[in-house]
Amino acid sequence: MVASRVRLLMIAFAAGIIFYLLLIESENNRTRLGSAAELTGYWLFGMMVFLTLFNLRKKLSMIPLGPANIWLALHSIGGLLALTLYWLHTKTLWPLGVYEQMLAALFYLTVASGIFGHVVQKICPPRLAQSDIEVIFERIPAHVAEIRQKAEEIVLSCSEETREDTLGRHYLDTMSWFFRRPRFFISHMVGSQKGRQWVRQQDATVRRYLNENEKVWLDKLTEQAQFKNRIDLHFALQSIMKSWLLIHLPLTATLMVLAVWHLLVVNVYAL
Amino acid sequence: MATVAHLRRPQRWDAPFDPEMQDEDVRHLLERPEIAVIDADSFPDSMPLEGILQNDTRLVRFNAGDIVVREGDYGNSAFLILDGELRVFTGDYPQDLLGRETAGKKGILETISQIWTNKRIPEVRDTERYGGQAVRRSGRGGRGERQDAGLRVFVQDIPVILDKYHTAEITEGALFGELAALGRIPRTATIFAKSNATLLEIRWQGLREIRRFDDGFRTMVDNRYRQNALLVHLRETELFANLSEEALDKVASATLFETYGAFDWHVSYQKMRATGKSGAANEPPIAREGEYVDGLLMIRAGFAQVARSYGSGQRTLTYLGARDSFGLKELYQGWKSGQTINMTASLTALGYVDALRVPAAILEENVFPGLDEKVVAHAHPEYGGRTLSDDALLEFAVEERFINATQAMLIDLDKCVRCDDCVRACASTHGGNPRFLRHGKTFDHWMVTNACMHCTDPVCMIGCPTGAIHRSQIGGSVVINDDTCIGCATCANSCPYNNIRMVEIRSADSHILVDPDTGRPILKATKCDLCYTNLGGPACVRACPHDALSRVDFHLDDIAEGEL
Repeated sequence: MVASRVRLLMIAFAAGIIFYLLLIESENNRTRLGSAAELTGYWLFGMMVFLTLFNLRKKLSMIPLGPANIWLALHSIGGLLALTLYWLHTKTLWPLGVYEQMLAALFYLTVASGIFGHVVQKICPPRLAQSDIEVIFERIPAHVAEIRQKAEEIVLSCSEETREDTLGRHYLDTMSWFFRRPRFFISHMVGSQKGRQWVRQQDATVRRYLNENEKVWLDKLTEQAQFKNRIDLHFALQSIMKSWLLIHLPLTATLMVLAVWHLLVVNVYAL
Repeated sequence: MATVAHLRRPQRWDAPFDPEMQDEDVRHLLERPEIAVIDADSFPDSMPLEGILQNDTRLVRFNAGDIVVREGDYGNSAFLILDGELRVFTGDYPQDLLGRETAGKKGILETISQIWTNKRIPEVRDTERYGGQAVRRSGRGGRGERQDAGLRVFVQDIPVILDKYHTAEITEGALFGELAALGRIPRTATIFAKSNATLLEIRWQGLREIRRFDDGFRTMVDNRYRQNALLVHLRETELFANLSEEALDKVASATLFETYGAFDWHVSYQKMRATGKSGAANEPPIAREGEYVDGLLMIRAGFAQVARSYGSGQRTLTYLGARDSFGLKELYQGWKSGQTINMTASLTALGYVDALRVPAAILEENVFPGLDEKVVAHAHPEYGGRTLSDDALLEFAVEERFINATQAMLIDLDKCVRCDDCVRACASTHGGNPRFLRHGKTFDHWMVTNACMHCTDPVCMIGCPTGAIHRSQIGGSVVINDDTCIGCATCANSCPYNNIRMVEIRSADSHILVDPDTGRPILKATKCDLCYTNLGGPACVRACPHDALSRVDFHLDDIAEGEL
């Protein structure tokens, strides 16, 4: 609730700054008193420093530096404001110089990765909650190993009790691939049901060759496979929610280094 | 054909309070005047007084200065002084005398200094601090021969204490602690041994039986409660607020005391939970739907479920806690119409319930003639058009006993991005190790994590030998004093929600600390302390960028609305 109010305030603040900068720009053009690029440049750099501080706040969580949800609200709106400031500063979508093009590329990639992360963090959590299970990411390999062990025990028990090896052979030929590690990463990521459909298909494929006793074991095996499919969903979505930051943060760090150099060069040679 | 294995049915006294209690000890006790007045003939053959003394009591020797009971602790036993002198604090005294945490809120500089003072290795302790704690090994046994491994807190320099603080004498033959033990309420005073003393400790099960079978003992305990607490309790109840002193005295004199369920309900609840049999169906009933109403039931401690038959099950209408009452509407309507009205709902104890029963005749004579009907309407819950889905959250909270929570950590899984910022924030605030698991029971898109809920009824505090786990002076949260925790794991085993963890601790130079006698690592109990010494409140809540984590009181109103 507080974060929503901060977001609205921030939007109003951002709109005010942009309006103010546009006024300066217009006045400068009319009176030809010089470019507003210096002013927008410092505003942009200041905003980028502020956006970078969010990561520092996460590292210093033992100090009361304000709730992180407020910081995130400011970070999101501040990011969009920085994009607008960037266009006001450069007055172009794509600059001409090589160094400026590197800066522009890094800036756009940083913004794009941030927007991607924001969208992913809105879409993925409800999908995970709807899976009806909750798994800690670091424990997924252990869960997969446990399910695989159960699946193999089911197949072995089936062979021992029924004296038939049909299910066992099908497991070795096809299903062991599924139980070995998380599968259908892309499908889970885009919201496809390919994993579930694959499990159903394997069930139907082998069921016609089984007697009634074996079918009981197949039901148990399919239950394990469906459970593992939900673990795979967690693996895919939690991987994305964690890994986008591994792109966003290095991009930010590189951008800040280049921006500082840009600031030094401009101050030494251009002003 | 199915085969069977044989096991002798477990008996009430399979686990005596003190296995070393001797027949000779019991004979000596029976000769003491305080015990001799108890009518041994009134006890049934299956529950003789000798058996109670043998199995539900133990002899405990306290050295001069040892603290016997601490104000604010939850105890499950009473004490009879056999010899020696004890003192009770009657005025103010410093909390560090009790072996409790005395830390206040950190200052801003101390908070910032955590950036460089936090260790890279978790659970590092300043072992120098432990040397200054007022904890020593206890002596047990009437003949002074037996010792146990327990440690207890003691007050140092008794003459100075007696000189500096107000205390009163308690001498041989006095019984104390029975109200806290039977009523599941915190101890109201701190008592320490002025001289070496031997006490008979009676666990609550034994107290309950003696109170049940001996009229004199029951009258003595009930009168003490009437004198000390009942009048205050009744006067604070809306129903009796406008009664005259005379009428209130009549109500107090006629009120009966009842207990339902086991004092140590957490033990049976953990078993029920492990076997998937938790739920009101397996709990002790207090009143059944359709039965005759003979009195108003007022909850003094614990929780009870109000439910009505629905389909083939019981549907929860609400739950009651301390100061709530049951049966008022039926009694009032019956009095007004002159007809007998039976219970319209059942009342079931959720674990342990300590209740007062005010007989119908007393209410009709003293209370109902001047009663505002709004009080009656307010007291009776109904479905009120709520669907089963609307009440699903209430059923979940009652079944999982989360109604006990005042600060449960709740995560909205629709918002949580599983970034573990909350876990890292907790770790960085607590010596490198988080004090909770981001895992727990889920309902819809909510998760109640394994973090201390700072319960209304903190069963973890029962049985702590040094009182290390206690309610904080700051905000009343349940916290552990690391200096006096002896790592016995009593609290961790008692917590019904598995929210206390035992950790191995390390020295300042990062070595795992090991007991030289046993070769085993030194353990300490750890749990969420709500960052009570930190500025800004719980770090986990502040650290969540997505507003997904909150600390909630599972309050009736919120649950009834289907919200948290």
